[in-house]
Amino acid sequence: MKLALLFTLLTSTPEGVVVAHDNQLRLGNRWTADGVEHPTAIVSSDRQVAVLDALNNEAVVADLATGRTTRFDTAETPVAAAFAGSELYVLARDARVLQHGATRIPLAADPAFLRAVNGKLYVYSRAGTLQEIERDRVTRQLTVPPFASDFEISGSTGYLVYPRDARVRTVDLGAMKASAELAVGAVPVDLDFAGGGTALTARILAVADPSAKRVWLAEGTQSLAEAIGRGFLRGVLGLGLFGNRASQFPTGVDRVHVRGKHWIAYDSASGTLYYFTRRSSSVVARGIAPGAYALTATGVAWWNGTSVAEKPLQ
Amino acid sequence: MRLLVVVLLALPLAAQSRLASDFEIAQMEKQLARSKEFEAQLSGRLNLGDVRAARNERSLARAEYLKAYDLAQRERLDARRDSSLTRYANATSYAALAQAKLGREADAFSLLEEAARYASDDAEAWNLYASAMRILGYPRKAIAAARNSVAIAATKTDKLDLAVYQHALATALIEAGEAREAETLLVTVTASLRSKEFEALQREAARAESFEVYNSARGDVAAYVSLLNRAQLRLASLYERRGDIERARAEYERVLAGRTDDVVALNALARLARTDGERERYYAEAFEANPFSMALVREYQKQLRDRTPPPIDDATTGGAVRKALAQLARGESRAARASLDALLAKFPENETLRTLRREAEGASVIALPSATPSAAELRALLGNFERLTPEQRVALDQATYTSVVQFEGSAFESGTIDGVPFRFGEATIFSGTFDITRPLRLTYRILGVTRSGDRDALLLEPVRLEAAP
Repeated sequence: MKLALLFTLLTSTPEGVVVAHDNQLRLGNRWTADGVEHPTAIVSSDRQVAVLDALNNEAVVADLATGRTTRFDTAETPVAAAFAGSELYVLARDARVLQHGATRIPLAADPAFLRAVNGKLYVYSRAGTLQEIERDRVTRQLTVPPFASDFEISGSTGYLVYPRDARVRTVDLGAMKASAELAVGAVPVDLDFAGGGTALTARILAVADPSAKRVWLAEGTQSLAEAIGRGFLRGVLGLGLFGNRASQFPTGVDRVHVRGKHWIAYDSASGTLYYFTRRSSSVVARGIAPGAYALTATGVAWWNGTSVAEKPLQ
Repeated sequence: MRLLVVVLLALPLAAQSRLASDFEIAQMEKQLARSKEFEAQLSGRLNLGDVRAARNERSLARAEYLKAYDLAQRERLDARRDSSLTRYANATSYAALAQAKLGREADAFSLLEEAARYASDDAEAWNLYASAMRILGYPRKAIAAARNSVAIAATKTDKLDLAVYQHALATALIEAGEAREAETLLVTVTASLRSKEFEALQREAARAESFEVYNSARGDVAAYVSLLNRAQLRLASLYERRGDIERARAEYERVLAGRTDDVVALNALARLARTDGERERYYAEAFEANPFSMALVREYQKQLRDRTPPPIDDATTGGAVRKALAQLARGESRAARASLDALLAKFPENETLRTLRREAEGASVIALPSATPSAAELRALLGNFERLTPEQRVALDQATYTSVVQFEGSAFESGTIDGVPFRFGEATIFSGTFDITRPLRLTYRILGVTRSGDRDALLLEPVRLEAAP
């Protein structure tokens, strides 16, 4: 199968699905604005959407209500962005900076992932550094194992995925300390949170493993206090409670996305998008470019080559 | 054994070429026929594409890059199906490199990012990333990727790998205008490669008489030979650019010590020659190495503006191309076209020859000469006589021209007008007494174009001969 790799990105916003492609940024039938030539990353808040062009070092921010846009040049190779409130931060990988307006915050080598939580920003650099940024300066940093393929945050815990080691490592962001390590699958690549995180249950991690052609469901870390509160300690013991449960796919999926009770997975090699549950998986669409899909409040949306297609999920 | 290392991608492709690439093409084709392994097939296709591109055979180069991409794409899917993610990442990087060579920047970038998800700890993956970005004209991105590969390789023990990645970083730095850091790196790389640390490879290269230089080298010896060649050329070029001619010359000569027909080094040494004789010798060797290098052609054309070359032996392809260029420089576009047509009959796909042939056509509208024509006007007419319109031919038949001429030999039959050859239909006797050895004033009609000796000449009908004022 020939997979069209030309850039098209979708993101789900409170106003609807925004699609970025071919120098356009569009919100359904409501507005169309000038976008970027090569959309390589898209991020949204309740009020705004930002699309990056990592090749041309450019960003466009659009107001969701009006479609009014602001365009600006970024430092070299903007690969990620995050809104902290209404403020946009852009991670320029090859310039090794986090850009906030005219401010450029120096970062460690090969910064790859940016997450915003509670007014703080966290950047994981693949040379092996996790940096916390507050009020436009690095406030704390931690040396962690290098070469993670994903970094996600839930609550006060950061999760780093290591394909070579088949490990998910966690960081207690409150203490800024490494906290636990879980063996997951054969080649875990991508992670999302599949529920849990209540007073009675720990976070459930959904981990895409293209080698095993599975999404592993594992219990994430819990703090000592949380563990004692639940009467047991399991997060640090390797495989979590759900470690042997996995969803199977006909091809190797390397991206997993969860929104509420809806779970989707994506195989970048074949461009196949799957919907899955704990017991089964089914194909939603084939030939989809990376990033050209999004989970919405009611289902899944994807770019079919000419328009946004949507499918409600049970 | 090193399977495949992208060493080069350092010099402009047009500058890397050589007719000796016939040998490399044969070697690559042998490799393709002999081994069906992915790496052998891939490196064969990539190198064939590079050699074709270097010879300015762009459509053939493109065909090879497309084959390389298809190979890599198949390998990606096979590896994924086999759950071999290391193979998948490797194939994805090479698919990206092939896309970059095809100029498809969006697809290349997307594939590079995909490979980086699985192999951000792999120095070679970052080296391929840097190479692809450099090919696509993003030197800053190439620098960042190359720094990653150097940082990773510096933690390992393989010195050849480290040198490969340092060279890639230096290349990207040069393209971004950061020559100082690049020079420091290249001095380190070349010193390291010539050091005792590489004694075993030096011996092996000498024993096997390895001299082929590839962009995608298979095996340590090929990688070593290719890297040393490219690093020395790069360093020499940096010295030359900052005016350190002696160091530049020494470095270029080191390149020739490894490979006597390196066209880039020969061209550079011609450029930096101390005497006209030395210059001509290096140009002759460079054109023998590759007569189709556009960079070499352009540089030689620049030289021809200021200097008239000695007679050129056109028995070889290199000599034939130089002769055509000399003819073009003298404004003998008719003769140049004939020379180029003969070459195109042998090398019909060659785009350098096609370009020169188009240039030999000259301006689309030919003007008739003025009553006392300049040499340029006569040359233009000589080169484009058959392109005159019927109306222009009628006007030409009726016009007479006057020029100061220099006859050759002992009869009034042929000579030159300000260097432009002419000839009468037959030897002519003029009434009066004239010193044939001195310039004379000739009034004439222009009948057409003929041959005089081995050159095109204007065929003139004499009207009157007078002593020159």
